[in-house]
Amino acid sequence: MADSAVKIKKSRHRFNKNIYGYIFTAPFIIGFLLFSLYPLLYTFYLSITDMTMMKKSYEIVGLDNFTKLFSDKFFIQALKNTWKIWLLNFIPQIGIAMLLAVWFTSQRLKIKLVGFWRTIYYLPNLLMPATIAILFFNLFSLYGPVNQFTVRAGILNEAIDFFRSNGWTQSILIFVQWWMWFGATLIILMAGMTSISATYYEAAMVDGANAWQMFRKITLPLLKPVLVYTLVTSLVGGMQMFDIPYMLTDGRGSPNGSIMTLNVLMYMKFSSNKGHIGAAASVGVMIFIITCTASLLVFKVLQERRDANPKKVIKRTVREGKHELCS
Amino acid sequence: MSYAVRTKLLRVLVYSILILLLAMCVLPIWMLLVNATRSTAEIQQGISLIPSNNMINNWKNLTGRGFDIMKGFLNSSVIAISITIITVYFSLMFAYAIHVYDFAYKKFLYGFVLVLVMVPTQVAIIGFFRYMAALKLTNSYIPLILPAIAAPASIFFAKQYLESVIVKDLIDAARIDGCSEITIFHKIMLPISKPGAFTMGIFAFVGAWNNFFTPFILISKMDKYTLPMLVQTLRGDTYRTEYGSIYLGLALSIIPIIIVYTIFSKYIVSGISMGAVKE
Repeated sequence: MADSAVKIKKSRHRFNKNIYGYIFTAPFIIGFLLFSLYPLLYTFYLSITDMTMMKKSYEIVGLDNFTKLFSDKFFIQALKNTWKIWLLNFIPQIGIAMLLAVWFTSQRLKIKLVGFWRTIYYLPNLLMPATIAILFFNLFSLYGPVNQFTVRAGILNEAIDFFRSNGWTQSILIFVQWWMWFGATLIILMAGMTSISATYYEAAMVDGANAWQMFRKITLPLLKPVLVYTLVTSLVGGMQMFDIPYMLTDGRGSPNGSIMTLNVLMYMKFSSNKGHIGAAASVGVMIFIITCTASLLVFKVLQERRDANPKKVIKRTVREGKHELCS
Repeated sequence: MSYAVRTKLLRVLVYSILILLLAMCVLPIWMLLVNATRSTAEIQQGISLIPSNNMINNWKNLTGRGFDIMKGFLNSSVIAISITIITVYFSLMFAYAIHVYDFAYKKFLYGFVLVLVMVPTQVAIIGFFRYMAALKLTNSYIPLILPAIAAPASIFFAKQYLESVIVKDLIDAARIDGCSEITIFHKIMLPISKPGAFTMGIFAFVGAWNNFFTPFILISKMDKYTLPMLVQTLRGDTYRTEYGSIYLGLALSIIPIIIVYTIFSKYIVSGISMGAVKE
């Protein structure tokens, strides 16, 4: 009897404490509902209305805004621009970061001052994007330092008007995005690599695997979760790119809308003299749908069977290694 | 060629690439800082990597045209410090609840937060703007600060950190001594997790300090402008040819962050790793 009394007391005791689980998570839940979920749902609602800043009344117009978007050449252009700019900055970003991470963790090269290099490479990521955009606008302006240097050093005969050329402007934006993010990606990839146990590499080395085989069969598969994380966070950020393309030129993606991203287009519709709230919201909804679909696809495609069983990996490495030796 | 020679050659190649990348990262920033001290005429004459002595003139020119950078610093500081405190406090509270208590939907709730890290949030800005306008909160800092209560990325970081420091025995000991759960959180948990809270705080601060989009949509009164919004005005016609002043304005906007980074770079670099790698 005494025993059961203790039990009851104990379970009541636990119950009382665990109530705090709800109390301590409540601020987040309330904050999320009020400041994230409600605005998001409201944006979805606004996207099916014809609301503008000018008049008080508005009507529900169904999917009109969306059908208009798909026949709007600016929207199609912004969609293409956003993907192009993101992809062309992400591929070199992950490539260089991976190369650097391999070098920095290499037992063969024994690079010195790894902490120092990393610290410097990460610096651009912390700086204010507004400042970076205007800085690069000035550096690449017609009479700016880049043109001064190339002309005086005799590399080019005459200055290039970078911000009148679609290609140059896009390239500068892609470069700036790459410049800001490769250091962050490097640090994340290195953290992933150093968390892989050294025993796998030792075992592979004993079995005579070479550096490329070890990278391909041990590092890459075990790094996959980190790579998926990098890919998805970069994608989510890239689809919402705004600060740099907005401030690098005139805020309308000039020249010829070559750096007009989806978010810039959304802002243009919002800030146009009529203030098309409904149309701007529909662009926001499209960004949301595109980003979520793409992220889900990434997870689906990259998370097929996860055969990161190290023993198997090593066995296979060796088998293929032998195979290569024979052939 | 022997293995040792090839290794040496490879090392030379790698170091040259590292130095090239270093120059790419540092040169634009260094030129920005140097040009902030040079006159417009000097800047137009050519590139220099040595500071000049025209900073005071640039400063007079900059502030003389309505660039109230002190106000910008003050506004941005108020917002960024409030966001930092709120984010750190509530994220640790949420992570602590998930880590220490057993309650229904706990797994679901944490999983949901992880999904939220990957959801684009800026796209809801139009709804957020209309909503805040209806509440007459545009040109107020409340809509910039309060949403920091729900910061999924910080919660993820806090959870990772708490897993490495919180000892359940300590909590049980405090309970036996008669501490209430809220006291335990404040008097035991918060002090223990100071290093993690500090790293989280730096990220929250930098993020808030650099944020342009949300204040840009919500704030229209000049005297409420945040620093990035002020910086954006340097693009306009007011400073068209005053390069020295433009560079000075730009330099002032990033110097605080550079100082923070030189002091705390270790925390920051290890913080990024911790936020991303789940072992």
